[in-house]
Amino acid sequence: MSGVGSGKRIAGGWMLLGGLLVAAVLVSLTVGQIMITPAELLRGLMTGSGPGSLTLRVLRGPSTLTAIGAGAVLGASGTIFQILLRNPLAAPDVMGFMSGAGCAVVAGVAFGLLIPLPILAAIGGLVAAVLVAGLAFHRGSRQSPLTLILVGIGIGFFASAVSSFLVIRMPPQEAADAQRWLTGSLTARNWGHVLQVFGLGALLFVVLALQVRAMALLELGDELAAGLGARVERARYGLICTGVLLAAVGVAVAGPVPFVAMMAGPLGMRIAGVKHPASRLTAAAVAGATITVLAEVISRSAIPGLQLPVGVMTGIMGAPYLLWLLWKEVEAGEV
Amino acid sequence: MKAAIGLALLFFVAIALTLVVGVRDAGIADIWNAFFAFDANDPTHAVIRSVRVPRLVAGLVAGAGLGMAGTVMQAVTRNPLADPGLLGVNAGAAFAVVVGALLTGYSDSGMMAALAFPGAAIASIAVFLVGGARSGAGSPIRLTLAGVAINALLLSLVSAIILSRNETLEIFRFWVTGSLAQANTRPIEAMFVALVLGAAIAAVIAPRIEALALGSSLARGLGTKPGAVQLSALLAIMLMTGAAVAVAGPIAFVGLVVPPLARRIGRHVLRRELAVSAVLGGAMILLADTAGRLVVAPVEIRVGIMTALVGAPVFIFVVRRMKPGALT
Repeated sequence: MSGVGSGKRIAGGWMLLGGLLVAAVLVSLTVGQIMITPAELLRGLMTGSGPGSLTLRVLRGPSTLTAIGAGAVLGASGTIFQILLRNPLAAPDVMGFMSGAGCAVVAGVAFGLLIPLPILAAIGGLVAAVLVAGLAFHRGSRQSPLTLILVGIGIGFFASAVSSFLVIRMPPQEAADAQRWLTGSLTARNWGHVLQVFGLGALLFVVLALQVRAMALLELGDELAAGLGARVERARYGLICTGVLLAAVGVAVAGPVPFVAMMAGPLGMRIAGVKHPASRLTAAAVAGATITVLAEVISRSAIPGLQLPVGVMTGIMGAPYLLWLLWKEVEAGEV
Repeated sequence: MKAAIGLALLFFVAIALTLVVGVRDAGIADIWNAFFAFDANDPTHAVIRSVRVPRLVAGLVAGAGLGMAGTVMQAVTRNPLADPGLLGVNAGAAFAVVVGALLTGYSDSGMMAALAFPGAAIASIAVFLVGGARSGAGSPIRLTLAGVAINALLLSLVSAIILSRNETLEIFRFWVTGSLAQANTRPIEAMFVALVLGAAIAAVIAPRIEALALGSSLARGLGTKPGAVQLSALLAIMLMTGAAVAVAGPIAFVGLVVPPLARRIGRHVLRRELAVSAVLGGAMILLADTAGRLVVAPVEIRVGIMTALVGAPVFIFVVRRMKPGALT
């Protein structure tokens, strides 16, 4: 009986999570300098003309879809690290992987390299991850999650400083754009961005689906996982790679937006009420998409006539969450 | 003695470089004459007096303030990762000034700069409450993350406010990373007074902070009130950090890099450490600023970026040296 009850509760959780995303998307498409009613949107979708159609095709559709895609990959990426390190603070934004990816993209642009942004971002993210793992290594003993997180924060500081350094050398207009992008920006996205984030994202989600079983085993602890036939180290490295690449795809289309990756997992897990890694990853992707879409619409409508970079908004949303997380630990006395 | 001579040498090299290096080359003779035989028609003299001297003094105020504030914070929290920049105290000061400018419409007068002090104080209290530092030695990771969060929040708000007012990129950069480029427009004299006041408080309470480090029950036995000491320390941090931010913006990492060196040179006597921090902090900012003007000249790299390029590796080094058990 209780099984059926919890099943119902979980189904309700998923509906709530999905409903929130749909609501966020609707708000994002209708709200702005010019308000568009849902009826106009529907008419635009059906007839392919009128203000609704223009909104969907050009003005808001691509940015909203890019926000969904970027949020989904970042949410999944964050959850991979949170599960691997068993720590809600472990996420590619906190640990400097996204700053590394952003730094590589800025370097590519600054030096005029003709390498696609996702590849630059992937290289930057992987280099940052290798540096974090290598520098957190402590005299032969296994790296503690806390050392990894702190070293990651340090790598993030360094990558951001290098990015700022590179930005200064650019021509003024380019520098202003780059600065904005480094905060995390979804302004004026086009269908190319949509295609990129959904194409690469889908590919990586397939890869991730193949790794979920190993992930579930790793959650039991290394020894038990090895006993059950998992190749522990290989599985872990594979998951780390997927996690970094997912984050890089997000960075390539939206810049290093802070805190989405960190917030999405715990939020999705709580709303959907799920525990298994596969469900947690899915819930995190949906929650990440919702957060990013909401942040995008708030960032462009909070101050009339001004488009703030979306990263300013996720910073304002995410920082209180992080403070609450830390405060909760103080209350619990987990010094 | 050797350390003292080295320190003095470093300090004077830093000062000399700040005065000499720039778009317009100035020799030692020019500098001497600019002070003692000023010729109003000599453009080099004018540049030295109106641009480089303010820059020098601003750099010294900011460096001394951040260096000493970092030393006080590390001594009180016994946390080698404490830095007014990383813990969001700088961001609090910057945020308060920017909000003040937004509310009154003034771009940036001395009154606005005075808001840096309450801003720094509120951010310090917030970060120590959330970071759990009130229960003696707070956990380094929690304090650091509380700083990351407060920094992210306040600097996001600062960005939003500045962008919404269509200010120039230069102003944005000043209030987000810190710079000495417009030093001659900052209220340097008033902030120097605040710095001296903060340093005096820190020097007076230094022995009591050391007593606290032995454990609060032992300190109480020796007649030290922990609450009063912490409050005075907060006041000193507020004055020194506020002064630094008001003249140079929120420069991070100076308060992280300087204290461990000061501990070594000052041989673990807090008053000596404070004096060394002031000198080292000033030298660090001036050298970083000069390097920033030289690396990709004629483009100038802001001093806050240079200190981060040096400071981030130091941060990782300090983390690596901490025992894993000491992190939680």
